[in-house]
Amino acid sequence: MTTESVAPALDPGARDALAELVLSLADDEFIIGFWDSEWTGIAPMLEEDVATSSIAQDEIGHAKALYELLAELTDDDADRIAFGRSIADYRHAALLNHARGDWAFSAARRYLYETADAVRLTAVAASAHPGLAALAGKMRREETYHLLHADAWLRRLADGAEDGRRRFAESLRQLWPDAQQVFAPLGAGEGLDREGWLPKPMPELHAAWLERVRPVLEPITGELPAASPDAGGRTRRTDDFAWLHGEFTRVSGSEEGALW
Amino acid sequence: MTERVWEVFRQEDEGDPMVHAGNVNAPDEELAVHYAREFYGRRGESHRLWVVPRDAVTELDDPDLLKPPFDRSHKRPGGYIIKHKLERAKERARGDAT
Repeated sequence: MTTESVAPALDPGARDALAELVLSLADDEFIIGFWDSEWTGIAPMLEEDVATSSIAQDEIGHAKALYELLAELTDDDADRIAFGRSIADYRHAALLNHARGDWAFSAARRYLYETADAVRLTAVAASAHPGLAALAGKMRREETYHLLHADAWLRRLADGAEDGRRRFAESLRQLWPDAQQVFAPLGAGEGLDREGWLPKPMPELHAAWLERVRPVLEPITGELPAASPDAGGRTRRTDDFAWLHGEFTRVSGSEEGALW
Repeated sequence: MTERVWEVFRQEDEGDPMVHAGNVNAPDEELAVHYAREFYGRRGESHRLWVVPRDAVTELDDPDLLKPPFDRSHKRPGGYIIKHKLERAKERARGDAT
């Protein structure tokens, strides 16, 4: 990591703002990675099973790198951050609160998430924090393929048989309000602007995403309602997430502090 | 979705020959390329992939054409075995010199 030279110079306010941003990115990647890994072994065809599992692994790989950056910033441990928090302390967007559902539901969520993540990563790659900017640049290279894959499934389901098209459209409409929350305001919003950690403010990123996805989605879903990110968009939690949290902390919780 | 079989060839480094890697099932070219990448390139082991629908491959496996019953040794690049002739010629040459 290239943060050693930068970290000590940060004042606590600037560091906390950066840490909040990195945590939101890391938790998003971590949780979507875990949900999509629930398809391993049962995806629609063997090839798609391998592809979905591999993409899920990529996301968890991105989360690992982000948690390591966060651990350096906050003098913590990446595994502790990933697996050692209670349900209320996770900061992923509400979009990722839902169980994987059927294939159309997971494909709808992947499309919404990948497009929002692409818009956000473009901004983060220009962050004033060199370690975070470099990491986002690397992540974007892998996310290019994720986006192609999500887009391929969008077109297949939208142009395919009636049942799949209907399920896909319903899933998109159901997830639409929660998808906005990828751009939910962070508590340290002003600090992010002041320090240049996130060079474009969230509302601007949100508008750019809407401009990109509305023309693609509305021919499938019909008119989508006006929906906005809100302050609770990264703190609301669900029973689905409580279940997933139990799953992914089961091994680490079985013997605290064990070395692997 | 109706699936087709796609044959995948991979090249390890620029300039290396394209070698048959295996095949994937996919409904169309776009997903075939994604799946080929996952199966034969996700570990960074490939420089280039060729993804070809199996039905675009013309196959020849007729033994009458490929393994005809007569001796074909004269068609091999090794041609005639001249090792012994060459040795005798060398001996003759040495004899002439002395």
